Amino acid sequence: MRAMKPLPPKLFVWTVLLLSILLIAPSLWGAEPIRIGVITTLTGPEAPLGSAQKNGYDLALKAINAKGGVLGRPLELVYEDDGGKTQGAISAVESLIGRQKVVAISGAYTSQSTFSAGGVANRNGIPFLCPTGASDEITRQGFEWVFRINAPSSVYASSMMEALRRTVQPKSLAIIHESTLFGSSTAKSIQEDAKKNGIEVRLVEQYEKGAADFKPTLLKIKGSQPDVVFMVSYVQDAILLMRQAHEVDLNPKVFAGAGAGFTTPEFLQGAGRDAEYLLTNTQWAPDAPFPGSKEFAADYQKTYGRPPTYHAAESYATVLVLADALRRAGATDPAKLRDALNQTDLMTPFGPIKFENYDGFTHQNRHAMPVLQILKGQYVTVWPPSFATGKLISPIPPWKERAQK
Amino acid sequence: MSPVLIFVQTLLSGLLTGGLYVQIGIGLSLIFGVMRIINFAHGELMLVGMYLSYALFTIFGIDPFLSLIIVAPVLFFVGAAIERIFIQPVSRAKEENQILLTVGLSLIISNGFLLLFGADYRNVTTSYSGSVFYLGPISLSLPMSLSFLVTLVMTVSLYLFLMKSWTGRAIRATAEDREAAMLIGIDARRMGLIAFGIGTALVGVAGSLLDPIYYIFPGAGGPFTLKAFVVTVLGGMGSITGAMAGGLLLGVAESLGAVYLSSGYKDAIGLLLFLGVLLVKPSGLFGRSRL
Repeated sequence: MRAMKPLPPKLFVWTVLLLSILLIAPSLWGAEPIRIGVITTLTGPEAPLGSAQKNGYDLALKAINAKGGVLGRPLELVYEDDGGKTQGAISAVESLIGRQKVVAISGAYTSQSTFSAGGVANRNGIPFLCPTGASDEITRQGFEWVFRINAPSSVYASSMMEALRRTVQPKSLAIIHESTLFGSSTAKSIQEDAKKNGIEVRLVEQYEKGAADFKPTLLKIKGSQPDVVFMVSYVQDAILLMRQAHEVDLNPKVFAGAGAGFTTPEFLQGAGRDAEYLLTNTQWAPDAPFPGSKEFAADYQKTYGRPPTYHAAESYATVLVLADALRRAGATDPAKLRDALNQTDLMTPFGPIKFENYDGFTHQNRHAMPVLQILKGQYVTVWPPSFATGKLISPIPPWKERAQK
Repeated sequence: MSPVLIFVQTLLSGLLTGGLYVQIGIGLSLIFGVMRIINFAHGELMLVGMYLSYALFTIFGIDPFLSLIIVAPVLFFVGAAIERIFIQPVSRAKEENQILLTVGLSLIISNGFLLLFGADYRNVTTSYSGSVFYLGPISLSLPMSLSFLVTLVMTVSLYLFLMKSWTGRAIRATAEDREAAMLIGIDARRMGLIAFGIGTALVGVAGSLLDPIYYIFPGAGGPFTLKAFVVTVLGGMGSITGAMAGGLLLGVAESLGAVYLSSGYKDAIGLLLFLGVLLVKPSGLFGRSRL
């Protein structure tokens, strides 16, 4: 057998060079980031609120990475836009899991998208955190991979109803709600609560999101003379509803709006004086009594030039929860992460986070929702008494008696 | 509120909404009557008016009702340009191709606005956006009532133009029988151009009128194209008086349907009425080609 020829000098040099580059490279690139997928709405009618969510996520990301990240690696958020549509959310989850290979997913904005995306994540065994989607169904499917930070829509209903029962003491109410999952699910909860407490539900009217003219419906409601008019809407519809309620001179004892569209700066701006005296509830307000709450609000205001909505507080807390769970799990393995999430007991600016199973809900954080009233153009917390910074006004002055624009 | 008052209020509310539908649909009726072209971009042309008014309001502080003076002529030229550049070359092509063209136009326009203005919903909130005035116990929206007046003026002017002026009569002649009109020396192509321009100006004005009471976003055109079609076909394609009747009828039907039947299906009620009329009188309420 012929003795092996020594490698030609050029080839030898190149091989050594290549090998050394491959060996050194990982340390040149730095530690690989932990990737978390985020689904939110960046285009379409809910875009302003989706971007509020994104701001919350970004702020938390900055804070965590500034302190060295998680498990010695930086955190990275991979954003997907669902365009406010369910199909968009499903595509987003599939892309995040299949192509982007994220270790966990957070999202979305609308209940409809969240519900669908959660289902897909659950089928694929990836931890899914819901920061904002309210419809009860999201955590009533027995999904072991889906966790929810915010209070479900039945709490929108029950917290507002409790506040109403203890202050306004209505004997009747009328409901007008948008027809997707959020509206329908919340309306159902309101009806159940009313029935349990002997309040007569005179009318339940649903409308298609994006409708331009609510006057016929509002007239119908006016005819039934309810003590309370309870609305469940996203922001654009909420603005038109209040304007048109003024136009048809609908005067219940008080108007109640179930969070979402009613609790945003866009609503105040669009509805103007017509928003005055509206009762609404929220997942969080900047004057919430939790450690870090005021600092978060100030930081947000400084960075983005406007006050944070509760959506931003929710997304901020979500990142904190994930970071905390990753640290306790010590790994990015989905099953370990899920188990760590189950053990969460964390205080955040949004409030305390602990996932529990109760009343048919799984992995649901028992979050309390304060009730606000719009007084002199500002949101004032009026219920429960322990959170309240102002007094609830009821009955509200009829439209004709209010100061004209 | 007594049942009678509720009925009257609902009726008046429906009439005001109907006025808007008339403003939106009348342009389509005119265009179809003269050129027999089904313009799927009609709602997007309204969008041009909406955004133009929005821009004039936001940048120069011009009230949407006042900016009509600018919007109408601008939209006339936009319509004429579209007709000359896109529609005329396919005027002798198959109907399917013409439709495809207008669908393509609608996509380009709405996505163009998506690029320019983003997907955010815009609001034009004027001092009177939510204002009402009262006729006894009946409350009427101030901006919608003003819009109704504007529509009334524009529709009557259109009617007089078509009946009395030479160009108007030439347009009607072209609509009635294109070849005969050409035989007696009418430039049919020019009439088509003018009709398209007027139709676009009318729907652009509708956009401005909608600004204070609705919201503006790139997808706003679609549903209104549908309304325009219903109005046009309901009234009889090509009939101006028909479009007026059709629009008001649609508005009232939706309003009454929402109060007495079901709010969630209010749009369906309008469409059911539309189907019903067509079953009984296929050429529409007022027949066709009688501008």
